[in-house]
Amino acid sequence: MNTDHLIEQLAREVPPVRRNVVGLRIAIGMIAGALISVLVVILWLGVRPDLADAMRGPAFWMKWGYTLSLSVLAIAATARLARPEPSGIGGLWPMAVPVLLLAGFGVAEMLRAPPTTWLAMWLGHSWRVCPWIVLILAAPIFIGLLWSFRRLAPTRLRAAGAAAGLASGAFAAMVYCLHCPEVSAIFVLTWYSLGILLAATIGALLGPRLLRW
Amino acid sequence: MRASEEQLRAWMIGGLDGNAASHAALLRALVPLLRGFYRRRASGSDEDIEDLVQETLLAVHARRGTYDRDRQFTAWLFAIARYKMIDHFRRGRRLTPIDGIEELLVADSFAEASDARMDIEGLLETLPAKQAAAIRATRIDGQSVAEAAIAHGIGESDVKVSVHRGLKALMARVQGGRR
Repeated sequence: MNTDHLIEQLAREVPPVRRNVVGLRIAIGMIAGALISVLVVILWLGVRPDLADAMRGPAFWMKWGYTLSLSVLAIAATARLARPEPSGIGGLWPMAVPVLLLAGFGVAEMLRAPPTTWLAMWLGHSWRVCPWIVLILAAPIFIGLLWSFRRLAPTRLRAAGAAAGLASGAFAAMVYCLHCPEVSAIFVLTWYSLGILLAATIGALLGPRLLRW
Repeated sequence: MRASEEQLRAWMIGGLDGNAASHAALLRALVPLLRGFYRRRASGSDEDIEDLVQETLLAVHARRGTYDRDRQFTAWLFAIARYKMIDHFRRGRRLTPIDGIEELLVADSFAEASDARMDIEGLLETLPAKQAAAIRATRIDGQSVAEAAIAHGIGESDVKVSVHRGLKALMARVQGGRR
């Protein structure tokens, strides 16, 4: 086709674009995916029966604070990488703050407990399944983000995939808190983070294939 | 005459606000810019270059929501143009790169690239703003002298001189640092 003709056609449909369309699209994709993850928790795992009580205690908020802060940082990185700009995932270093804070909590908890209980604190009741469940719950959110990316313009596909995986993993971990009864900080630091990292790794592997446009 | 960054940006924002005439003016102005961009970087028939130009125009149109109105328009445009070109090479289409494709691909390994970038950014910060901007545009973002001149609203010879002086100063600094 002739270029002038193409331009004529393209200029026929020029709807106004909202300023925050990138953020909006990412939010819609994430929320839609997260709703599926919440459904999976409700129907498959079951919401923990003592959720209302747990929400009055510190352990629940420790877990939510950790996963929420990681989510916010990862979503910000995803939004940055959804635009054609030469920025890598170097902007992720603030994530070290929640990780170090949680590690500090973990050490403080261990110092207050007798060393014989340390292994039990670390492994909890569910260390074998926790990372995998986080990964499974991340899948619908990641798919939601893939939908978001269909109108966005990432130019560093691997970095964008990793950021999207990280955001899905961290958000999935937040959702998993509705079920997970574990209370120790070192449990969360190890097994939650492992699930989140798995999601980020898979995102980095899939990014170059799935985010092409 | 080629349109300036301010003019292109104004047209782009007009298009984002729903002004079709402004959007058409933008796309028309981009054609010579993109043709020049691709001709300098890829060798092949005019037809293949034109295909790539059209593909980029489509991308600019379909993904215009990703332009942040507070940022430089040409940086956004050339990032898309570069992405489309690398994608074209990767798919083994007919155009072949003139040079530096290895660098383009290597830059995809983001960890290395961002480390190197941080070093470079650190060094660039020690230069006067104009020289740093000229080097960033022509040597890192891969714009031509003409594109950089448009983007920064200065003359082409001014860009060349800034790059030359800046690189010389950097060289002296790096060698001085080693000794």
